[in-house]
Amino acid sequence: MTQLGTAFTDTSEISKAKHQITGTGLGLKRELIPQIQKLFGQELIQNLNFVEIAPENWIGAGGKVTKDLAWFTERYTVACHGLCLSLGGPDPLNKSFLKQVKEFLINHNISLYTEHLSYCTDFNHGERGYLYDLLPIPFTEEAVHYVAKRIRQTQDILEQRIAIENASFYVSAPISEMDELTFLNAVLSEADCDLHLDINNIYVNSVNFGFDAHTFLRGVPGKRIVYAHIAGHLQEAPDLLIDTHGEDIIDPVWTLLAEAYQLYGKFPTLLERDTNIPQLETLMKEVNKIAELQALYCSGMFNDIKAIEAQRHKFTA
Amino acid sequence: MTLKPLKHNATNLLPKMNVEKNKLLNFQRYQLAFTQHLRQPKTSPKPAKVIKNRMAVYTEIVFNNIIDSVSACFPVLQNVLGKRAWQKLVRDFFIRHQSQTPIFREIPQQFLIYLETKPVIVNNAPLFINHLAHYEWVELALSTSDAEIEVANVDFEGDLLEKQPILSAASALLHYDYPVHKISKRFRPTQPEATYLLVFRDKADRVKFIELNAVTFKLLQLTNNENMTGRQALTKLAMEINHPDLQAIIDFGYEILQGLKAQGAIIGSIK
Repeated sequence: MTQLGTAFTDTSEISKAKHQITGTGLGLKRELIPQIQKLFGQELIQNLNFVEIAPENWIGAGGKVTKDLAWFTERYTVACHGLCLSLGGPDPLNKSFLKQVKEFLINHNISLYTEHLSYCTDFNHGERGYLYDLLPIPFTEEAVHYVAKRIRQTQDILEQRIAIENASFYVSAPISEMDELTFLNAVLSEADCDLHLDINNIYVNSVNFGFDAHTFLRGVPGKRIVYAHIAGHLQEAPDLLIDTHGEDIIDPVWTLLAEAYQLYGKFPTLLERDTNIPQLETLMKEVNKIAELQALYCSGMFNDIKAIEAQRHKFTA
Repeated sequence: MTLKPLKHNATNLLPKMNVEKNKLLNFQRYQLAFTQHLRQPKTSPKPAKVIKNRMAVYTEIVFNNIIDSVSACFPVLQNVLGKRAWQKLVRDFFIRHQSQTPIFREIPQQFLIYLETKPVIVNNAPLFINHLAHYEWVELALSTSDAEIEVANVDFEGDLLEKQPILSAASALLHYDYPVHKISKRFRPTQPEATYLLVFRDKADRVKFIELNAVTFKLLQLTNNENMTGRQALTKLAMEINHPDLQAIIDFGYEILQGLKAQGAIIGSIK
């Protein structure tokens, strides 16, 4: 049940001819490029259906970087997952950057652009400053309107819908007026944009802020899901998980993914691995597992979380 | 591509935007207190009622990310200054410089702009640090430069004397006040020494450095920046130095141009 088909009908002229992501994917890190090139076409990476890049790593580059990108866009569907748009930032939306993004998407025939529900800039003495990390937006009503407006502005400039990702975070703002789920849903609905569902982030935040991950998952608007992320994290303390994308995915996160397929049907899902990166062969084991879960749970034969748990244990054993 | 002096790059900033503090929304005031604390944890308090050890997660990961991004580009400068001074310098960069780019590859250039525009805070910092930093940055800039040459205008077998020689699209003709390419922890020049370098990306996308003498530097400036043919540039040089034997200069210069072509720095001549 991928939402891509409906997601782009509004602004179809750009997106019709482009590729849509399906199945399973992998975040494209520099280390992986030669390995993927070497194994291209082989069975070992047959479940690699799409890759994801951060436009901030590729825009405006020439030389080897561009040649590598061309190799991928010729062979794979590529999704753009941005890091620095700063949708919740206090500085004016960086329109010239957005125009670069738009040009980049067109030039490389990439149809999908997603961003984070967070901010990475500040504004001192009338000057924007990037901090290059995903910072938590306080969950206030003012912030809902503010962020939703900027998402709409972004979609207007790009002339296409975007999806926003539920971000991981570590500090809860004392000025927040609502919980994360309420905030996320309010922004999605007011901005009328799509959801880039991060399964691991639900889990990380559920531990960091003591809420029930399953309740959160059941509360997201499934119809808006464009694709999902799954990743590992670091357990810093019993009540503090750091979203490093540097470990193997743990069982409770696999369970959440399975439950998400059961709730909302199959959607494209991508493995993120950004630090402590093993060989491609090892990463493919997790990618393959996503593919197997997709095959298993999209059938709707498992109707509650206990059945999912039981089946998943059988599956991983 | 010819790199402009840094002072010109520093003007590549956004127009100043004036927003008064009282026009900020409530949550934005919180955000600014949050980021101020990230930049300057020792002197700017965290937002009220935020849990201390959770805030510390951000102060650590955000600064680590910044220092990693900058350090990757400046290994020699980092080594020359030592770990402590380097951390102090990067922290000061994070405090006093509003980094203008969302493109990660351009963070080191923001550090250069900071070095050019803010007084150095490291005690007894060597005079060469801005030159060294620029030199280290050039490799990154050229390895990822998207500069292109209209191939239709280039004659790859062209005559370098009778036509204008063309440098590789990603190249820079550089003049430093210190022998930046020789600096290390053990070699820290204290006296200026004019240093000329040609840096270029070859066909295989490798960045290469060639040290030039003052005359060759001038020759390439004339062909590259003033669009002269090899012969025009060499004639001008011979006149400037009052050399009695023009043909000797031309023969010698032609050999140099051909040598640069053999190394891939010159790709041909204009058609």
